[in-house]
Amino acid sequence: MYHLPNGNTVSIEILKFYISGIELFENSKIIWREKESFHLYSADSSNKTFSLTVPTKFNFDKIKFNLGIDSLTNVSGVMGGDLDPTKGMYWAWQSGYINFKIEGKSNLVSNPKKEFQFHLGGYLQPHYSIQTTTLPITDKSKIDIVFDIVQFLSEIDFSKQNHIMSPSIKALEFSQLAIKCFKVK
Amino acid sequence: MKRVIIIFIAFLFFAFVVEVPIFFTPKKWPKPTYNFLKNPISKEKILLGKILFYDPILSKDNTISCASCHSQYSAFTHIDHALSHGIHDSIGTRNSPALMNLAWQKTFMWDGAINNLDVQALAPISHPSEMGSNINEVIKKINALKKYRQLFKRAFGDSVATGENTLKSISQFLLTIISANAKYDKVMRKEQTFTPQEENGYKLFKKNCSVCHTEPLFTNNEFANNGISLDTKLNDYGKYKISKQSTDSLKFKIPTLRNIEFTFPYMHDGRFKKLSEVLNHYTSSIKASKTLPKELQKPIVLSSNEKVDIIAFLLTLTDKEFIFDKRYSYQNLN
Ligand code: HEC
Ligand code: HEC
Repeated sequence: MYHLPNGNTVSIEILKFYISGIELFENSKIIWREKESFHLYSADSSNKTFSLTVPTKFNFDKIKFNLGIDSLTNVSGVMGGDLDPTKGMYWAWQSGYINFKIEGKSNLVSNPKKEFQFHLGGYLQPHYSIQTTTLPITDKSKIDIVFDIVQFLSEIDFSKQNHIMSPSIKALEFSQLAIKCFKVK
Repeated sequence: MKRVIIIFIAFLFFAFVVEVPIFFTPKKWPKPTYNFLKNPISKEKILLGKILFYDPILSKDNTISCASCHSQYSAFTHIDHALSHGIHDSIGTRNSPALMNLAWQKTFMWDGAINNLDVQALAPISHPSEMGSNINEVIKKINALKKYRQLFKRAFGDSVATGENTLKSISQFLLTIISANAKYDKVMRKEQTFTPQEENGYKLFKKNCSVCHTEPLFTNNEFANNGISLDTKLNDYGKYKISKQSTDSLKFKIPTLRNIEFTFPYMHDGRFKKLSEVLNHYTSSIKASKTLPKELQKPIVLSSNEKVDIIAFLLTLTDKEFIFDKRYSYQNLN
């Protein structure tokens, strides 16, 4: 349960997202790129941290990654591992991955059950919704990347928006909001 | 020792009786669009896909299989139903298309909602008025059956079914559904000849229809508005739903015309029962709209004899060997 500064209380039932295309940089030069770089993160009340493995032999000062799945992967058929459609992150009636999924309840939602669902994705322009961020790394010995959920929830007007289930301009805007919430602690 | 040998013979027998169709590219056809590198064909995978295609385990209440709506005897469509019927007798919003030559198709569904054959099956499995289930539920049920553990082991070297492997094997069976042996094909291969009526129909077809229904697949794989009016109950704007671009409004997949004799009723909503109605549509009831292509803006003029000739030609696209090919049919493995 999150009590937000604006008086909204939100509980989260599902929070899942894809991180892909991880790259490391030193002095703005790419020094490492992960192969087959697709990671599905799924948070629940007992597990809110995720680990990423990157090689330690490099000196790097920036990490870059995508939130979501690129369009080429989206048109390449069925895949396994974290991309297997049984992971619940694939739309069925229309091709394409869900990049980011959050579901829960908020007292500001107008429907009787107070539920909201945001399934963000879309691989076709103008609603291609993958997002990229580059974060500075100062202390290589301990890198903590956080998704600032309070910031994310605070910027959503739950009284106006409680449902996004397909690629759209709203899905794109919410994706742009989500990527801003990844930070280095 | 003896017992081991008996089991071995039983396996041989099993492999022997089950005939599976294979994938091939008919002579003079273009290269397939399907990426076989990502899903290399094998007999074992095709067999597994075929068994899944005929298994109602893919639906929520185990009543509906893929073949319920895609029956071989009607070129893998749902014969005589304008809108397809799914679980609990629910009625969908579209006519189930005939399935054939899918390796040459770029996108799937009347509106192109599906971008790759491998992910196609997810749509009917999850659709509330088709199979009403979801892929996780299906995989759980499959993994509980010994029969499938063996089939998956042989196909993928791993007895555990995953979403990826299940869908890839369904694709493999679908890819083998190839129709390329109609009278038309035999005439093109100079093994038979058209009657004068068919010959005239072929000429008229090339003049009026080939831009969209292009040989040899009888589709150019594009989407078009063919001038049928909007059904205001269904309000189906076709590709617009997926792309949300107004230039795609009322555009639907240009369907193949192979085996058209069997795939009635016609169009995405099954509005026409007979080929003569389709031809009357093209000559007399084209509805003007912003996305109507230039080919259909000037009315197509055909006498009633000419319409009959075109229909005679369309009937040469019937491939009886395909319709009755046992390798596509349901076989009981038990
Ligand atoms: C309840 C009836 C129903 C069932 C069951 C069903 N389908 Fe379909 N199928 C349809 C309809 C209707 C369409 C067209 C839908 C659309 O365009 O929106 C379709 C479209 C397709 C297409 C696309 C063809 C094309 O030319 O674009 C394929 C491939 C297909 N189905 C395969 C399958 C497979 C494999 C299964 C089993 C997993 C299956 N279907 C189960 C009704 C059904
Ligand atoms: C501008 C492109 C175009 C031209 C030209 C065209 N068609 Fe079509 N045809 C289509 C499209 C698109 C559909 C599917 C429309 C729908 O379902 O909404 C279709 C559907 C059909 C169907 C029904 C197929 C099925 O499986 O339901 C038949 C039969 C057909 N056309 C025959 C013809 C004939 C014969 C001609 C020439 C007189 C012709 N078409 C000219 C685009 C075209």
